[in-house]
Amino acid sequence: MKASIIYLCLFLYFIIGSLIARRAGGKATGDINDFFLAGRSLGGIVSALTYSATTYSAFMLVGLAGFTYIGGVGALGFELIYLSGLVLVAFFGPRFWLVGRKYNYLTPTEMLGDRYQSKAVAVVSAVAAVIFLIPYSAVQLIGIGALLEGISGGAIPYLVGVGIAAFIAVYWTWTGGLKAVAWTDSLQAAVMLTVAILSVIFIAYRGFGGFGGMFSQLETQYPSWLAVPGPGFFNINTFVGLTLPWFFFSLSNPQVSQRLFVPRSLGQMRIMVMGFLVFGFIYTLVSILWGFSARLLLPDLAIADNATPLLLGLDVVPSVLALLVMLGISAAAVSTVNSIILTLSSMVCRDVFKNVSKENYESKELLIGKIFVPLFTVVIVAFATLRLDLIASLSVASSAGLLVMVPALIGAFFWKRGTAAAVLSSVIVGGLVATILQYGGFRPLGYWPGVWSGLVAVVLFIVVSLLTRPPAGKADEFIGYLKDELGRRKVV
Amino acid sequence: MSLEKQRLAWVILFVILVLAAFIIPFTPLLSGVTRVYGAFLFWSLFAIVVIVCIGFITARWGENDEG
Repeated sequence: MKASIIYLCLFLYFIIGSLIARRAGGKATGDINDFFLAGRSLGGIVSALTYSATTYSAFMLVGLAGFTYIGGVGALGFELIYLSGLVLVAFFGPRFWLVGRKYNYLTPTEMLGDRYQSKAVAVVSAVAAVIFLIPYSAVQLIGIGALLEGISGGAIPYLVGVGIAAFIAVYWTWTGGLKAVAWTDSLQAAVMLTVAILSVIFIAYRGFGGFGGMFSQLETQYPSWLAVPGPGFFNINTFVGLTLPWFFFSLSNPQVSQRLFVPRSLGQMRIMVMGFLVFGFIYTLVSILWGFSARLLLPDLAIADNATPLLLGLDVVPSVLALLVMLGISAAAVSTVNSIILTLSSMVCRDVFKNVSKENYESKELLIGKIFVPLFTVVIVAFATLRLDLIASLSVASSAGLLVMVPALIGAFFWKRGTAAAVLSSVIVGGLVATILQYGGFRPLGYWPGVWSGLVAVVLFIVVSLLTRPPAGKADEFIGYLKDELGRRKVV
Repeated sequence: MSLEKQRLAWVILFVILVLAAFIIPFTPLLSGVTRVYGAFLFWSLFAIVVIVCIGFITARWGENDEG
């Protein structure tokens, strides 16, 4: 595909998104809740679309399709068990939302710090999130750089692709904070889903004469791809190791758990949850079918992550649609990165700087938060230039690292006995376990880092809590308020 | 049924559902079925059941909204 056409397409996408971002951002009020939480007033449909665009990244049509290519239907189980993890939002969503309003929390880590009555908890949790989300964001930019380089036959250098994506992400975020991010995400989610569905229909009908033809060819040519362990990639250890951290994604990843503060009512939050589930189910099926198509049409690829760029180059996909799919994948990556940048910036200004600054901080808080938007972008771009490891592996490593936050979050809402010392030890030691196992390539007893980091975090959280003194007054007030309010609203 | 009992019932149901999604496709029941009506259909139905259940859990969220 010609580089000039790709540049033109990306330019148009940037202009349209920028118009939406400026309109959505409106006049700057100088209110930090307005910039980072859209004034806690988003409607359900926009919330659902931005939640979908933030959650689903370039990983879906590149990494997940690649997993399907090498491992078969296990990739579907992995991603749909992740989707079922939204049941955590069904339980924790109203709780986050209620305490967010009552105590005016800006970030999930601020909530942890207040609930456990420890500034150190807020600082350490925020720093852990920064450490683990930077590689995850860099992976998104790596994905775009590789995709644009591949689809243009090398005419768009890798670093140019990374730079374009980073600029778009930072510009929209800077323009209007979460309002701009949410509305541009909505556009991007619509693009992602529409082009993904259209392309898979084209591939199925032009490549196989329909979906029935695709499946019957799979059943005859690659039968083992329709079962697990199947061709071998998805043995039970790999399956559990990949899936377990992702099941807890909606709680462990602050860029999505922060969104639980944002809908303007619980009714709108319900629309967000149900809308996301429908979006996720369709987008997952499309990504899996995309991987199966690549297996049938491009059987001899050495690198699974190349399946998508090469599939776009085949005759079965019209070139206009291939261009739009490229745009859809770029949109998926940009919409994930800008949300992460926004969340990390809010965590640094609220949980790190506020807790270490002496006086008169409130007047500078929003400015500090906004300054971190471009700063984090530079760091993420620097990380992307290193081009580490396979796309999916780095993504999953981040989830294993963030999984260690989950015991502290569950404890905050359901266990009065939980303590700050327990949170600190579970997050620090659990995070170190995830990092050492991942980067050392160790898998004790064959289990993946996420299984071990999760186990260590749970055991430490319980044991250290039982050995130390809980913040009894705050625990009673926090959990008591929720019990009364949820009972009044008849929410389970 | 009290809210606590409802919550417990949903938690138990979801633990069973999610464990089944992890285990059943790897058992002889499905691991030898190399057809689209094997693990592919099983996990798709699992997701649909989950979506319907979450629809029930969240059904009363909007009833007492006052913003």
